[in-house]
Amino acid sequence: MTAKALRHLLGRVGFWLLVIVIAVYTLFPFYWALNSSFKSEQEIMEPASYLPRNPTLINYQGVFQNDEFIRALGNSAIVSATTVLLALVVGSFAAYALGRLRFRGRTAMLYAVLSMTMFPQISVLSGLFAIVRDLGVFGSQLSLIISYPIFTLPFTVWVLTSFFRGLPKEIEQAALVDGATTFQTFRMILLPLTAPALVTTGLLAFIAAWNEYLFALTFTMTNPSARTVPVAIALFSGRIAREEPIAEVMAAAMVVTLPLLALVLIFQNRIVAGLTAGAVKG
Amino acid sequence: MVTRTPKHPLEDIDEPVMPSPERMRSPTDIEAVTIELISGLFILIGLGAFALLFVSINSDPTIQAITQGRSEQSLILAFLDSFGIVVPILVLVLGGLLIWLGVRLRQRGITAARWAQLALVWLSVGVGVLGLSAFYNAGRPVLALTDTGFKWAEAVGAIIPHAVILVVLLVALRWLSRLINVIFEGDETLTARDTRMAWNLLIPTLAVLIVVAARPLEETFITSLTDKRFAGTQTVNFVGLNNYARLLSFRLDIVPCRLNEETNSCATDTTGAVRWEMIDREMLRQGFRPVSTIDLGGGRGLTISAIDASFISSAGNTLFFTVVSVLLELVLGLFVAMVVNSKFRGRGLMRAAMLVPWAIPTVISARLWEIMLRDNQSGILNKMLVDLGILSQSQAWLANPNIQLWSLILVDVWKTTPFMALLLLAGLQTIPEDLYEAASVDGANRVRQFFAVTIPLLRPTIAVALVFRTLDALRVFDVFNVLLGRRKLSMATYNFETLVQNQDGGYASAIGVIIFILIFIFAVIYVRTLGVETE
Repeated sequence: MTAKALRHLLGRVGFWLLVIVIAVYTLFPFYWALNSSFKSEQEIMEPASYLPRNPTLINYQGVFQNDEFIRALGNSAIVSATTVLLALVVGSFAAYALGRLRFRGRTAMLYAVLSMTMFPQISVLSGLFAIVRDLGVFGSQLSLIISYPIFTLPFTVWVLTSFFRGLPKEIEQAALVDGATTFQTFRMILLPLTAPALVTTGLLAFIAAWNEYLFALTFTMTNPSARTVPVAIALFSGRIAREEPIAEVMAAAMVVTLPLLALVLIFQNRIVAGLTAGAVKG
Repeated sequence: MVTRTPKHPLEDIDEPVMPSPERMRSPTDIEAVTIELISGLFILIGLGAFALLFVSINSDPTIQAITQGRSEQSLILAFLDSFGIVVPILVLVLGGLLIWLGVRLRQRGITAARWAQLALVWLSVGVGVLGLSAFYNAGRPVLALTDTGFKWAEAVGAIIPHAVILVVLLVALRWLSRLINVIFEGDETLTARDTRMAWNLLIPTLAVLIVVAARPLEETFITSLTDKRFAGTQTVNFVGLNNYARLLSFRLDIVPCRLNEETNSCATDTTGAVRWEMIDREMLRQGFRPVSTIDLGGGRGLTISAIDASFISSAGNTLFFTVVSVLLELVLGLFVAMVVNSKFRGRGLMRAAMLVPWAIPTVISARLWEIMLRDNQSGILNKMLVDLGILSQSQAWLANPNIQLWSLILVDVWKTTPFMALLLLAGLQTIPEDLYEAASVDGANRVRQFFAVTIPLLRPTIAVALVFRTLDALRVFDVFNVLLGRRKLSMATYNFETLVQNQDGGYASAIGVIIFILIFIFAVIYVRTLGVETE
């Protein structure tokens, strides 16, 4: 009996050790960024310490006085919000058609959209570069708004299609009997029902657009004032320290990441559902 | 049978639905003429599309130069380079459809009338978008260097033709909508209505995907066969598969090691690596450069050399990175998923924590790891490992070519294992508990249960997770670009460098196509061997 209890205890202890190891492994780098953002540039260069010896807010001050960074924040907000709006409006139309209506060519369309979700962004980089230049928007925020649907739209369509499909058939039949048109059914009945799904996909599309780097780096090469946050952080030049403003970069990273993390943690259940809807139900 | 008249979505939808599909009255003469006019408009637009395509091909400067014998260039290439395939085919098909619709309108079928309404709405939207684009491009200062402000006069001038066409289209739409129950006979079937509705809803998505995916991809494929450059306006030459030949030519040679004359054994360099003899002079003269040498033992090595050594080594780096990081992520992810799947207090908190690495932008996590991986004691990884006595001295994680890739794998594993774990967790939760109970009644221990129950039932989820991660890893860009810059390339960063730094559009496109094909091959292999269900 005691041996069994001991084994049970050891099992529990081992299990909790595992949990702690996993938690530390996932969270430590984040803690390190936070930690570094409170250190002075000088302390960053010294042997690492687990707590800042002289915590300072000077890096955050520097970040908020950095016009380039503030402009990048604005650019990112505009680009991401527009992209999400576009993806949701256009994507929910397509998803309704693919999820609720029967028509010839439906399967083909579904496969076409699915293949787009696997599309390597880098392969179209040079082609998109040429098109963006031909449209005369190279170097502007508009070039990003035009090109981001390549990854947000197929994904939005795919996830929303699976949500639309999950709704019971009777809803539309009832609406139809009451004399609603297809569009009325879509707008007044199905759309409110899928509001949670819209929030989820919108959030995922927002994060994807907010974090995008390749297109942003390429298309704003010639125009630093159109840079988004990831590009600004990758090419960060500091206000306080001239060379390698590491602590300032970390403060900027915190400014960008904290709101995102707050969103993710608030909506965590929805996000997990959205991420796995595309993959597990497939 | 439902017998209602379907109404167009863009009409005022709060209006009560017409109760009867029957023709309400006979059309007057004027109304009959109106419908002839609308039908004529459709045929005109269709023919106009053909004419526009023909004229723009004919007036293209490159094509003119060829037809007039002033240029030796290939006519097909010049056409593809200027127009591509997608747009001309689209114009031909849509023009044909509009003409057909115009003819059908005269036969007074209700289905044709409904489709005509839809076509008019989307034509108006299309003309509107084109008009706005013309407005923007005409008014924008040509050179951003001289800020002359927005040129309103030019902009308004550019939009006038679009505005005229738009008005004509809208008038036609108005007439058609008013007359639809007067002139047209019959009742649209439910299937026909659904089909029309579906295509109506799909048109925006299709349009966006053609502009941002189909056109660029086509452009990449076509450009990869040329020597097109990005800056300047040099004539584009068709180089066939030369770009691919240059990228993909590599050879394998067996080479002996350099002998150390004193000990009569293989010589080594300062890091202890064996030094190898060069490949044949003849090969060097042809442009082959050694990429790396694999030790075969017995003083012999297998040298891989290539014309474009950077590309072959970037392909090698990418494949190594992909295979190792995806395997590690799968194993660790499965492990984490199983831990989190068991019930314990704080499980929700744990799941939330797992979303943190995923949510941090890759660029930011790369810069963060850059700091953690610094090459002296100010880098926390070095400090930790030295404090714990695992390392005797600091390592240059990002500068030492032997461990660079492993450092990147470390970063990638940290960033994406939680994502993998979440996907697998969702799969684990679909496995019914009684299967495990049945297995344990049958005397299977935990390990046995894992291999007999968990793995087979989790296979579809694992397959999907593997597909997602592999395709992602093959096109890895952010971490390579931020952490290693040009020190070590992945295929994607090499593509980027070729395009942006060297401005070599044709060559960069060929790299893009190779990545595309590689990813395609991987996807097909996965779908075949692991049986991913797409539906």
